[in-house]
Amino acid sequence: MVQINLPKNSEVKKGYYYKDKTGSKNIRKVNIYRWDPATGENPRIDTYEVDMDNCPSKVLDLLNKIKNEIDPSIAYRRSCAHGVCGSCAMNMDGKNGLACTKPHSEIKGDINIYPLPHLRVLKDLIGDLSTLYKQYESVQPWLKTTKKIDDTEHLQSKDDRSKLDGLYECIMCACCSTSCPSYWWNGEKYLGPAVLLQAYRWIIDSRDEDRKERLKKVADELKLYRCHTIMNCTNACPKGLNPAKAIASIKKMLATS
Amino acid sequence: MNNNPLSPHIQIYNWHISSLVSISHRISGVINILSLSLICFWVWSLFLGNESYEVIFNFFNSFIGKFFVISFVWSYSFQILSEIRHWFWDLGYGFELKTSKITGVLVIVGSIIITAFLYSIRGILL
Repeated sequence: MVQINLPKNSEVKKGYYYKDKTGSKNIRKVNIYRWDPATGENPRIDTYEVDMDNCPSKVLDLLNKIKNEIDPSIAYRRSCAHGVCGSCAMNMDGKNGLACTKPHSEIKGDINIYPLPHLRVLKDLIGDLSTLYKQYESVQPWLKTTKKIDDTEHLQSKDDRSKLDGLYECIMCACCSTSCPSYWWNGEKYLGPAVLLQAYRWIIDSRDEDRKERLKKVADELKLYRCHTIMNCTNACPKGLNPAKAIASIKKMLATS
Repeated sequence: MNNNPLSPHIQIYNWHISSLVSISHRISGVINILSLSLICFWVWSLFLGNESYEVIFNFFNSFIGKFFVISFVWSYSFQILSEIRHWFWDLGYGFELKTSKITGVLVIVGSIIITAFLYSIRGILL
């Protein structure tokens, strides 16, 4: 269901202001979404003045600096810091992306950091992705074959292998799914760009023998056809992939098979 | 989990050309249905004689009426151009970010040009 306004308990209030203590001349304001499950209060926006002369280039560096030097209570996910694990996906400057690959110099004015949109917040910048993971499980993202090969790999031609390019690189960071208005309004039933791209990755794999069943399972008014080509997913993907195209390819396969 | 707040979504998310054209496609579709009903009603009023026909005729020639007519012409132009874009998408073309941005701008600019063109030659058509 389309619900434009946030529920009462989710309305964002003004939070604390942390003034710069270093005396630096090169200051930027960073506004960060905060919610502490222990207090039961509404979420708030805390503002931090950060000394940019001693801050490395990415938004994640900025967050680390704030956590290390200004406010250790702030919570966010991060791991590899090289755009491979997908942990630090968040909304920066009104667009989803990975904090570890997004340079803060690309952001003009104050730096606004929110959790991924339209998720239940667990704490601060950490959203609950368990629905998405359940949906991922539902497309059975593993090779299904009756061939029993024990001593070599499952071979495929170079041509068949190239069909997986632009799909296998997906790191399931959820930037795309949580940028999609269709997924916001129908997230329980619509699978969303990330899961559909993964579904397509297995549908198109020449080694998989379950293509027909996979297509049948995904051919659903709500699961698949809630995609209206809004293209927010492709705009958001930090790996430069094209979930909108993958979804269209599934639709095309269904229309022509 | 229900006590956990919902993170902000449409309130904070940036608009892109593609999302703007997408929502406009929907809105123009709704306007088209309403305008079609009005046009049907106008045609139907022909059977009731000259006077009732003139009520709507005069309305369309009033200031507000002209605003309505221009809006309808725009929403049809927009819908048709945007639908052509959707056809190409359905065939599997035009999903690259740059292409979709360019076609989106073409739809917006094109709909305005077609509206201005059709409205300026309405004297020849009628």
